[in-house]
Amino acid sequence: MSNEDNIKQQLIEKFSALSDKIIVKRARRIFAEVSLADFPQVFDFAIKKLNFSILTAITGLDEGTVFGVIYHLSTENGIMLNLHTTTPRDNPLINTVTNYFPAADAYERELVDLLGIPVEGLPQGNRYPLPDSWPANQYPLRKDWKGQMPVNKEESK
Amino acid sequence: MVNTLFHIFIFPGFLFACVSGLAAEYIDRKLYAKMQNRIGPPWFQPVADCIKLFAKEVIIPQQADSRIFTFVPVLAFAAVLTSFFYIPLWNVKTLSSFNGDLIVVLYLLTIPTLTFFLGGWYARSVFSMIGAARSIIQLFAYEIPLFISILAVAMLADTLSLSEITVFYSKHLWLILINLPGFVVAIIALIGKLEKAPFDTPEAETEIVAGSFTEYSGRPLAFFKLAIDMELVAGSSLLAAIFLPFGLNIHPVPGFMLYLIKVLFVVALISVSRTIFARLRIDQMINFCWKYVAPIAFLQLVLDLFVKGLIR
Amino acid sequence: MSNYDFIVPIGPQHPALKEPETFLLMMSGEKIKGMNVRLGYNHRGIEKACEGQTYIQDLYLIERVCGICSHSHASCFAQAVEEIAGLELPKRALYIRTLIGELERIHSHLLWLGVAGHEIGFDTLLMYTWRDREIVMDILALLTGNRVNYSINTIGGVRRDITTEQIPQILKAIDTLEERTKYYAKVATEDTTITARLSGIGLLSHDNVLKLGVVGPTARASGVKRDVRKDDPYAAYGEIDFNVITDDHCDVYGRTLVRVGELMESYKIIRQVLAKLPEGPITVKAPRKIPVGQAVSRYEAPRGEDLHYVKSNGTDKPDRVKVRAPTLANVQAVAEMLKDRYLADMPIVVAAIDPCFSCTDRMTSISTADKDDKTFMSWPKLRTYSIEWYSRQGVDFSDLNKKFKAPGI
Repeated sequence: MSNEDNIKQQLIEKFSALSDKIIVKRARRIFAEVSLADFPQVFDFAIKKLNFSILTAITGLDEGTVFGVIYHLSTENGIMLNLHTTTPRDNPLINTVTNYFPAADAYERELVDLLGIPVEGLPQGNRYPLPDSWPANQYPLRKDWKGQMPVNKEESK
Repeated sequence: MVNTLFHIFIFPGFLFACVSGLAAEYIDRKLYAKMQNRIGPPWFQPVADCIKLFAKEVIIPQQADSRIFTFVPVLAFAAVLTSFFYIPLWNVKTLSSFNGDLIVVLYLLTIPTLTFFLGGWYARSVFSMIGAARSIIQLFAYEIPLFISILAVAMLADTLSLSEITVFYSKHLWLILINLPGFVVAIIALIGKLEKAPFDTPEAETEIVAGSFTEYSGRPLAFFKLAIDMELVAGSSLLAAIFLPFGLNIHPVPGFMLYLIKVLFVVALISVSRTIFARLRIDQMINFCWKYVAPIAFLQLVLDLFVKGLIR
Repeated sequence: MSNYDFIVPIGPQHPALKEPETFLLMMSGEKIKGMNVRLGYNHRGIEKACEGQTYIQDLYLIERVCGICSHSHASCFAQAVEEIAGLELPKRALYIRTLIGELERIHSHLLWLGVAGHEIGFDTLLMYTWRDREIVMDILALLTGNRVNYSINTIGGVRRDITTEQIPQILKAIDTLEERTKYYAKVATEDTTITARLSGIGLLSHDNVLKLGVVGPTARASGVKRDVRKDDPYAAYGEIDFNVITDDHCDVYGRTLVRVGELMESYKIIRQVLAKLPEGPITVKAPRKIPVGQAVSRYEAPRGEDLHYVKSNGTDKPDRVKVRAPTLANVQAVAEMLKDRYLADMPIVVAAIDPCFSCTDRMTSISTADKDDKTFMSWPKLRTYSIEWYSRQGVDFSDLNKKFKAPGI
């Protein structure tokens, strides 16, 4: 059995809910769908027991009724586990992973700024990447944001 | 009277100092460029820079002390200019000399560093204050070895007047060889005084923008730059007069050529050092000066004491 | 953060930074007591822009994320899209992509050597390495038509082929560069002032590298053997023999050695690529509408690991494009590296992670002359604004096609 299938097997053994939600796309690429409730345990298991010691990125997606968040984990020899979880659009909230990866700070702030997903437990710090003067409640990466914003004063050239 | 005015304004005063300063800057930049496989500026570049700066607007930051800000460049310029009067150029005679003028010249050449400090400090911007502090800290590192090595030479000649030192050494040419360690020390110290690499941390462009000169523009900056250029020539002439005092009693024209060659030699050494060294941090610079340069200066002092005892 | 006396603002505009970011250093004398980093100045909203363009248009957009890692980003994106579409690229295309990728790496590392020299006040190194960079840029211009931003990728392969006449020219250039690089290696290791300025600076221990997620030469200089070309091979790297250069110094000096070592490896790789270059087509036909799917693509840019995530929805425009550039992973380690160091070390430490802030950020906010008046412009409005502004200066864009007639068009 290849390394990837091995990992898939171990995940399914530990979390039966994932049994039909893990796909080994090709060598070194595993995609898994995890519910928000199960996510902390799966994440912890992947990091502590399956040697996924690198968090390369966190992607936020606008999927219509929900917001998707994908955590791209990787082992030292290049196997990637992409954990996709969702949070409802009308009340989004996810927990921080900076306790595992301090460097996740920047990636989570992108979610806060660009998609408007609050991250619980994120330490104090500067916002990224939008400027401080960016108006509130404008989340550029949402599908319904088209670049038209209410202006402060009358539109001038 | 006319003679004195000629000496003050033309030679070796104002005109000669300015022209030789600008020429020295050109030679420095051209050598630097050639060693880096580049072409370098044309001969009139320093003149053009000077003229351009005089024509620019002077912007004084609001929080700066504008009187000190505009006064200190002129002070630096005047100090370096005055030092020219006491340094023997190609002849043992100077415009004016008295016993102790060596100390005066050394002091006059320290004034520019103090003006860099005052100018940077009273500009009251973060970068210029850091640059000013670094200028003064650097002063503590190179000034003592410079003074000791020069005073060692003076002590051997038993006089503190520059022209009399040159007279003495013209009579005992072999003693120049005894002073060579002091020459090395003095060149290193001169690089520090002129704030050129590897000792250009007070003016580190990539760290503190321009150090003391960050807020300067227009005429005050032109005076500062001119003062630095003239300091290059004055320092080189001083070193040439003290450590290379040969060929001083020959006919004026070849004598002047010889003087130019000596100055060119020191300027070339400074350019080479600028090319081949990276910038040292302030703590590394002080370490270096006190660990290696100062002991050699002291060694020179002891050596000169010994030789003095021998020839008496 | 302990007590500090004053704050030195490095940025957003500063001679040490080639691109705007703010590092507010809390200083006490010459020592850095704390640091406040503000990123985002170069954010241009590229990820959002990608959603509104077709895949081919996105390729050009992604290329312009960065000037000097343009091929890395474009290849990474193309790889992701090709994976979703299930395209199998011809071998020749993969080899050409590798060739240009390695030439880009040489270009970037030579540039870095020069920048590092400049940051420590050693302009001679800057002049020499940038002179040699001209050789690489000439080769790239010969192969692709441009000195930076080579635009050689397309979805499904590469756009230009290399001819047999070009190969000896490339090899000759590589020979010259290899000789010169050996000289730089000697200089970097033997020159006392350089080692004095680079050693012991920007220390980042092995454990911190793992904890902070650092990538690229910055990580490899702390002994962490991570290179996407070996761990997750792409393009032609699976068939090429090369070493991953690591070093144990953990400081800026180590990073210099790693980059110089990587230059030598690049020459080796290029020679192998040219020797093994297979015949065949250089592209496969890519569908206009990419089927539904998602893919994660990784690429070893000169600065480290570049990651692209692409999600497609069956149309000719992607649903989501995510770019994670290497500098974003590295810049978070800068605060750690500068703890209790001197102000003078700051430029070289930031330069040592080889920052490319354009890659990192990706907002047009216009402040009008009245300081308190900030209006935001939408993109169509911005376009109209700029056209009207230029017409007031007397430049008429509608006339340009008539004025500048390209030959043969």
